[in-house]
Amino acid sequence: MIVGTMISASLIAVGLVWYLSAHAGQSPGDHLFSGEPKYFSDPIDMVRRAFDFRAIGERRSIAMIGIFLLLLNPPARVLLAGAGYLLEKNRVYALISGVVFVVLAISFFW
Amino acid sequence: MTEPFFDIAVGAASFVAGLLGALIGLGGGIIVTPLLVLLFGIDLRYAMGAALCSVIATSSGAAAAYLRDGISNMRIGLFLCIATTIGAICGALLATVLDQSVLAIVFGVSLLATVFLSLRKKPESRLLPEDSDPLALKLDLPDELPEQDGTKSPYGVAGLVPGFCVMWVAGVLSGLLGIGSGAFKVLAMDQIMRIPFKVTTATSNFMIGVTAAASVGIYLKKGYLDPALVSPVALGVLAGAFVGAKLLAVAPVRVLRVIFLTAVSIIAVQMILKGLH
Repeated sequence: MIVGTMISASLIAVGLVWYLSAHAGQSPGDHLFSGEPKYFSDPIDMVRRAFDFRAIGERRSIAMIGIFLLLLNPPARVLLAGAGYLLEKNRVYALISGVVFVVLAISFFW
Repeated sequence: MTEPFFDIAVGAASFVAGLLGALIGLGGGIIVTPLLVLLFGIDLRYAMGAALCSVIATSSGAAAAYLRDGISNMRIGLFLCIATTIGAICGALLATVLDQSVLAIVFGVSLLATVFLSLRKKPESRLLPEDSDPLALKLDLPDELPEQDGTKSPYGVAGLVPGFCVMWVAGVLSGLLGIGSGAFKVLAMDQIMRIPFKVTTATSNFMIGVTAAASVGIYLKKGYLDPALVSPVALGVLAGAFVGAKLLAVAPVRVLRVIFLTAVSIIAVQMILKGLH
């Protein structure tokens, strides 16, 4: 868990520096102030974009992957807990973990 | 403000929020959002999305430590997470349709309520396992709390259904406002379910991350997570919370609490005023 947090934190840091090096001197996006939703709504598209080096100005994608890893932390923990209960043959709590995981999955893939 | 300086300033403000949060026992999320909105004029929903990510970061770091100590009760946490995650999705969906000014007002009021909650301290009334709510016994929720002298003291769990309902509300607030809503979770477990304070704090830490993850999916889908903002905020709050936790042992916490809680109350009123204008 701590390792996971550290990996995602460092990815975010790398991505942030990289993004800033590309955008030095520019004003921060107007969308932050106006609230126009569009970026990175699709996890798969996000990963694809991160590795698309031709897309200058999308360098923030690296940071986004770090953020995405961070977001995967809690569901992963629930899944691990569920697996643990399954091994203990604790059906009730394997089921409860499963329900929480499904709710999380629904929220990510609405 | 141009780009590197903007992010550095946002990162610095987030660091302060994380530090404050750790020192006065509020989450970083509920402090960082008003700072972003009031100081930098950032859209409230983007600020809340970034705050949610920072909540997950700090919760993942801290919960790991608690789990190792064996204080947190995973069964209680998982069971109540059903309520908080469903609530969080409802709240996040509500946040995407509600007007910003309404959100700002609700945010300010919740912030004031959080300050109020963290000020009042009721003596802990521990329950024996055999006096637990029958449903809690069925779900095997009572556990033992490891004490400092190496002994273990058993505790029971009361009021499962009302606790579950309050947890749903805490989830809605978390999704609606982009906060961890730890204060409300602790209230439900502490006051209604009568779980020992140490266990509630540790368990709510685990739950905060899971709850925030449920609403952050909606924010992600709606496009309110911008890495250019999330990165400095998440890193800043995480670093601030880390330093704050270390400082906690040496800082004059009582004095700081009074000063900071006053500051947070002023921020809350400013948020309400912003919403009213």
